Amino acid sequence: MTTADRQRVGIVGIPPLAVIKTLASPDIEIYDLDEPQGKINIETASPFLPRVYCGILRTVVANAVTIRPERIYIDTGAGKCDCAVHTATVLSDILPDTEIIRTRNDDKENFGTPLCKTKGDLLSRMTDITASVQTVNPYKEHPPCPATAGFWGVPPRDFSILELFPDTTHIYGWARCMENKTPDNLDLEMHFNADVPTIFFAQSFCAKTAIARHLAARHPHGLYLDCDVSAGNSARAKIQAFLELSGPVSKRS
Amino acid sequence: MLLADFGTSYCKILDTESSDPPRLTATRALDRKIQVDLATGHNGKRYAKQYVNELTALARGGISLIAEESFTLLDCGSRDIKYVSYREGKISDMGWNAECGASMGFTIELLEKYYDIDFHGVSVPKSSFSVTCGVLGMSHIFDAVVTGSSETEAVAKFVKSIAVNAYNFAKKPETVYLSGGLCDNPLFVKSFPCPVISLGRFVLLEGLKESRYLQG
Repeated sequence: MTTADRQRVGIVGIPPLAVIKTLASPDIEIYDLDEPQGKINIETASPFLPRVYCGILRTVVANAVTIRPERIYIDTGAGKCDCAVHTATVLSDILPDTEIIRTRNDDKENFGTPLCKTKGDLLSRMTDITASVQTVNPYKEHPPCPATAGFWGVPPRDFSILELFPDTTHIYGWARCMENKTPDNLDLEMHFNADVPTIFFAQSFCAKTAIARHLAARHPHGLYLDCDVSAGNSARAKIQAFLELSGPVSKRS
Repeated sequence: MLLADFGTSYCKILDTESSDPPRLTATRALDRKIQVDLATGHNGKRYAKQYVNELTALARGGISLIAEESFTLLDCGSRDIKYVSYREGKISDMGWNAECGASMGFTIELLEKYYDIDFHGVSVPKSSFSVTCGVLGMSHIFDAVVTGSSETEAVAKFVKSIAVNAYNFAKKPETVYLSGGLCDNPLFVKSFPCPVISLGRFVLLEGLKESRYLQG
């Protein structure tokens, strides 16, 4: 079966496991609409969403109007965000030939968070975590490593910022909930490690900026960071300097 | 070893094997073939074997020059403003405003030359404008002049606005340690709503010296 013959199904956020199980078919091609797909220009979303809006949901709309899946499952529960509720409404109106299926992920089964706590390239681990949304299989074992830094937050729109972190960075926040397949788990999302310098990241214009900044202020060695569609030099410099100055090269550390 | 802070308007260059003080050169007059050993600043990567990012250089410069364990060091340059805060010897916060809020130092220098103002003789005005960046703020000056303010008074309000913006950006510290070219502008320094300790425009070079030692 060629790609063209397969049914295109988009997902936004983390659909419940029950939904993912129904999509496990060679007849279906799943598109994670939260992530940039190929070279689709984010400005494709501008006629439908304000430019000053969450970069991830702008990406969702740009992908959806370009790929035009037959169905889109969009989480509009507490495991995603209010902006997704409104984006679902917009998608329903602008894509009349696409079935927009609103879901609410209340899954409580803990799949574990081995990738969040193991040693390895942070960008690759985050890529694997986002890809894991599409499967229901148990995770492979990954030995945990002692953390030297923390990344708290959602998978960023611009993954390149993850290249700046050491391999021994542990992942916290909603990305950890994502790996655990419990997106609406506020206790897990709020958890951080006070013993390691941590970047508290949120997408600009996302409601999670409030909790990211709040937790960064509570963390004894945290730094709040927000970025829009792509990270500029100043955001990169903040990450790099914070980690350098907090680590073994810091004169006072 | 040659160290350099390649700023947008001015470059600061130090030869560590010479007893001469750092050399200040207008960026537009810079020898484009120059190569230094260690650099920071907006144009630093073009001219250096090794680059240190500006926030790191600023922080290390602050650690070297400031005796306190807790401080906020604010760098007001031509193109951007940035700050680092230390609490009890640990980095606690930092920011770099290169987009909105930008070009403030550059705009002040333009206005100084355009209106031929000597900032040494200008008093701090009681009020300021609400400005978000150097470029957008200029329209306030023109509006104030049209409605009867003197050019000097209008520019002084603009300068105070920028000082207040920078202070707010650094999260309103009790005392500001100030770095960058605007240290040389007495009106700007006096316009802060808190005590200011000027460290001059060579703090990032000091940070490079620290980086050199750290890299062996």
